Amino acid sequence: MMRNVTLVCGFACAAIVLGCATGPSPEETRAIGEHMVSEAYPGMPAELTARAHQDADQKICSRPPGDKLTSDEAQRVVAHARASLKYPANGKLAGDWKIGQRLVANGGGLRVRGGRVEKVKENGALCINCHALDPREVNSGNLGPELIGYGAKRGHTDAIVKYTYEKIYNSWLYFPCSNMPRLGANGYLTPEQIAHVVAYLVDPQSPVNRN
Amino acid sequence: MAEPMRIRATLQGDVADVRILMRHPMETGQRKDAKGEIVPVHFIQNVVVTHNGKTVLDAQWSQAVSRDPFLGIRVKGAKAGDKIAVTWTDNRGDKRTDEATVAAAS
Amino acid sequence: METMRGCVAAAVLVLFSAPLPAQNAADGLAIGRQMLAEDNPGELWVERGKRLFFEKRGPKNASLEACDLGQGPGKVEGAFAQLPRYFADTDKVQDLESRLMTCMVTLQGFKREDIVKNRFGTLDRDSDMEALVSFVGSKSNGMKMAVPLAHPKEREAFKAGEYLFNRRSGPLDFSCATCHGDEGKRVRLQDLPNMTDAKQVQHVVATGWPAYRGTQATVRTMQHRLYDCNWQMRLPDLGYTSEMSIALTSYLNHRGNGGEIHLPGVRR
Repeated sequence: MMRNVTLVCGFACAAIVLGCATGPSPEETRAIGEHMVSEAYPGMPAELTARAHQDADQKICSRPPGDKLTSDEAQRVVAHARASLKYPANGKLAGDWKIGQRLVANGGGLRVRGGRVEKVKENGALCINCHALDPREVNSGNLGPELIGYGAKRGHTDAIVKYTYEKIYNSWLYFPCSNMPRLGANGYLTPEQIAHVVAYLVDPQSPVNRN
Repeated sequence: MAEPMRIRATLQGDVADVRILMRHPMETGQRKDAKGEIVPVHFIQNVVVTHNGKTVLDAQWSQAVSRDPFLGIRVKGAKAGDKIAVTWTDNRGDKRTDEATVAAAS
Repeated sequence: METMRGCVAAAVLVLFSAPLPAQNAADGLAIGRQMLAEDNPGELWVERGKRLFFEKRGPKNASLEACDLGQGPGKVEGAFAQLPRYFADTDKVQDLESRLMTCMVTLQGFKREDIVKNRFGTLDRDSDMEALVSFVGSKSNGMKMAVPLAHPKEREAFKAGEYLFNRRSGPLDFSCATCHGDEGKRVRLQDLPNMTDAKQVQHVVATGWPAYRGTQATVRTMQHRLYDCNWQMRLPDLGYTSEMSIALTSYLNHRGNGGEIHLPGVRR
């Protein structure tokens, strides 16, 4: 018994010495970092500081570059994503591409300044911040893959429409921990807005598919 | 109080390349402040540059010139060690003069 | 009068005829950047910052000449190159802005909340902090970044910064790495530095902030850069000189070690 205690202390002491030489352990680092987050937004209302709290999936998806998900972690993220899915009340997963066109170019929504959410008419779908969609649009980013001719290449079958809708609603369903935000699951876009964006991507009349 | 200008004068052959940065709000009289009130017109009206005391530029400016204006001129017949002085006067009568010495080409 | 008008015409001609010839948009951009780098309006902030640093100011009517930015009282040369670092008197790791704030409060008697209120300049009101940071930053020009990791709290800040850089949160699931973790990326047409690349970190840290921003007609600081990133990430207003902001700066600046300093920078 005595020997066990000594042994435990031995390990603990070694850990402390090691800690001093190399910096805090991953667990300590997490605790320090989370404490910093909890104090990073002084004077902000609780409903806004809540945005900085991580959900279980964000926790799993926060990792250094090159650090791969375990299959168990990936399965958990995918299962949560599947459970998050909601569809438009009218059941139509592809809406009006012209409304979608307006949404994809809109990069605003939910920003905070001076402790208040900035007022906007609607949250933009942010798409062209990261994706090339319309070949005539030069002002598009490249954080995500180029999607010019999305529908022309894939068609607009029910299966493609459903996949596209679900991918936008919660990208982590198909690509766990993808850089792409879970736009529907996070409540940032409504199911109806997503359906309009789907139409913009797949409709043969949409600029995405006309060359 | 008017902030100092930054003047650089470098010799290229017998020409001094003079570059002047001025700190001035250059208000057009059309901008509104945070409270939604019109900010009164306030701009540099006159810029005079002298080379060893002799005027080489006398310019009339308007509120169309940008905030913190940049002015570049080339002065012929300059030598290292010559004095370049710049004076601006704005529409409120505020005035600022700064001076630089022409440096040999590096 | 005729001669004077002639003079003005000649000067104006020089202004527009000097930067030639622009072959395409990228060349034009390069010429504009070159001109801005040579005659960076940020130099005006350096001048003002220098005046503010040595002027007796505040309720205690004192200059900042006794301010210890890590190199000893009043020594501004090389201070930026080694920040953030640990300071025994505050028992904290501090970046340039938080350290200047400490000095402005303790030496000059300014109120912390007033400094925080005026941390970012507007078209209606200059920020003293933006000027002071420009001045102190410029006093490391030509030196190399050499941020220490000797004190346990410095290592703690560095590790926490690394953790926070990769931490995803908010309604858009973003971390710093989402935008700054890969090569050659853009949001719309805005190039994004890859902060996982050693060379790019050195460049951004040593020549990036403080920088004169053409779109805002003022110098912005690293604290402002982080505040603005938070805004884009849909997080609330980042607390000025919060420990989180300093940890992120520790992480980036230490990894920028070796980068040659040229400040203030110039940015869009």
